[in-house]
Amino acid sequence: MSATLLPEERPLDSHKRTRSSETKRYGFFPGCVAKESCKELFNSTMLLADKLGIELIELTAASCCGASVVNDVNRDVARVLNARTYAQAEALGLDDVITICSTCTGHMRAANKELLESEERMAQANSILGKFGAKYDGNIVVRHLLWLLIDDIGLDKLKSMVVRPLNGLKVAPFYGCHIIRPESVNGWESARNPHSLEDIIEAIGGEAVDYAGKTRCCGFHIQLEKDNVAANMVGQNMRMAQDHGAEAVLTPCPLCHLALDGYQQDAAARWGRTDLPTFHLPQLVAFALGVPAEKLGLNKHLIDPRTVLVDRDLIA
Amino acid sequence: MAKITLDIFRFDEAVDTIPHRDKVVVDIPETTTVLDALEYAKAEVDGSISFRRSCRSAICGSCSMNVNGVTGLACKTPCNTVMDETGTVKIDPMPNFQPMKDMVVHMDPFWDKYARLKPYLQPADKDSDHATERRVSPEDMQKLVDVANCIMCATCYALCPVVSVDPAFAGPAAIAYAYRFIEDVRDGERKERIAQISEDYLWLCAHCYACSYCPKHVNPNDRIIDVKRAAISERVMMDERGPRHALTVVKTIKQTGMLAETELIQGTVGRFNIIGLLKVAPLGLRMASKGKLPPIFLKPIPKVDEVRTIIESLEVPVA
Repeated sequence: MSATLLPEERPLDSHKRTRSSETKRYGFFPGCVAKESCKELFNSTMLLADKLGIELIELTAASCCGASVVNDVNRDVARVLNARTYAQAEALGLDDVITICSTCTGHMRAANKELLESEERMAQANSILGKFGAKYDGNIVVRHLLWLLIDDIGLDKLKSMVVRPLNGLKVAPFYGCHIIRPESVNGWESARNPHSLEDIIEAIGGEAVDYAGKTRCCGFHIQLEKDNVAANMVGQNMRMAQDHGAEAVLTPCPLCHLALDGYQQDAAARWGRTDLPTFHLPQLVAFALGVPAEKLGLNKHLIDPRTVLVDRDLIA
Repeated sequence: MAKITLDIFRFDEAVDTIPHRDKVVVDIPETTTVLDALEYAKAEVDGSISFRRSCRSAICGSCSMNVNGVTGLACKTPCNTVMDETGTVKIDPMPNFQPMKDMVVHMDPFWDKYARLKPYLQPADKDSDHATERRVSPEDMQKLVDVANCIMCATCYALCPVVSVDPAFAGPAAIAYAYRFIEDVRDGERKERIAQISEDYLWLCAHCYACSYCPKHVNPNDRIIDVKRAAISERVMMDERGPRHALTVVKTIKQTGMLAETELIQGTVGRFNIIGLLKVAPLGLRMASKGKLPPIFLKPIPKVDEVRTIIESLEVPVA
């Protein structure tokens, strides 16, 4: 822990050009939820990658990132688990690990920052990895697919690839805490006033809705602790989104997705019915780029997002 | 000099039933702090504008308020960093508090949570003759330096989304201040303190990092994690959902390499807690109807032995 009075923390590099971004071959860390209850996120990510002409090489032996909870038990476990994942990517000749979950992004970047900033921690990790012949050399950059879309594909290119613009569909961005906070770990954009999701929404022909809830918490991590509190956090944010005209929500995080999609019904008693359908980031982008709606797993959502697409004459 | 419009929340609980807003135009350098701009408006335009302030230099913790949607110390916020393109600075009281008069709010719920901490040393050697001083090594003191910078401005409490829907939650500042005594080697009530803060819903923190905006870099978010770890190591309230949830996550990662969602629900709620499981059931059924349930048995990742080696190499508590 630092003892300085007002440390000006240097954010971890999030714009670094990687070899992977030149070759368009990326290490891919889907995270647990995209492999379990949000399989539609995993599938639509792969379909989007096809459209974009990039190769996502899944790190199939990677473990859970620690999910923000493992630190509550031991402060070293998540860091060493993630070092193991980075070593696997390095062994494949990759230097970029792409995530599709806000919580994975924040916690994998935090682990990487701790490793890169402390020789002692790197040595601790490598002494454990050495027991099974692995080593992390510190070359990995962890980025979210959202940042890849803007940095490596580019908004202009993305716009030019759109074959099914969203006809001004009013979409509320919902970032998910761990892709923006703490800024010293993420640092890709301002945590208080981010605009990457808005930029994507506009690029694919939607209208981004501005509301205070977009950077707030979905309550996912306390659903099992006290479900009514978590549901109220969902209701509060979705009430704000709907009051600002939102017809749908877009999130880069499957945990937020589970919360927003699953808990609006339970929050209705206090916040009124909102029933805003929630899209995973790659679902809506892939849809605009022409991937058929039926391949995107939209039927897996509790609040069916196909209704708003029909309303906007986007699907029959 | 610049013409800055202060768009100010006005409310006096003694006479008003609903708040209104006043716009005050001031001609000041645009780098003026929001606090100095308010002082200027109060001195030159409307003496009834009310707000708390004392030191004007981020030490007293009095002037936290919401400026153009951002909550923080008005004395540390230059107007040009927050005003919009029309040169307007919108000023509101801190959220999560009941307004009393303009930007002055009722702070009682915040102080009550501090008072419950017994925020003073409970010496380990109560019967000491006080002949010798209680010494702390520089290493031990180092742990407390960051938290000791807390000026109790309540910015973190105002930003906390859990407090906004459940005021029973202790909030970030109180938990960080509990840490300040829990980790103080001179204190003799470590376990009692952990029990008290656990009862004040330590485990209800949603991991959102909103309190990472602390103007004094106390980072309550990190201290909350430290207190949870202390709670597990002292085995406080181990039958409650918070510790069970954290330990089940580690257990499932050890078994499968992944966070196994089905196992996590059973492990947290309790496999034999029929009522608890029934409460989760409606959402489970809605998900099942969409073919969205996580697998009941999760296949371990390749080389899961490596994950087990990592966890076994570190000192990890178990349930």
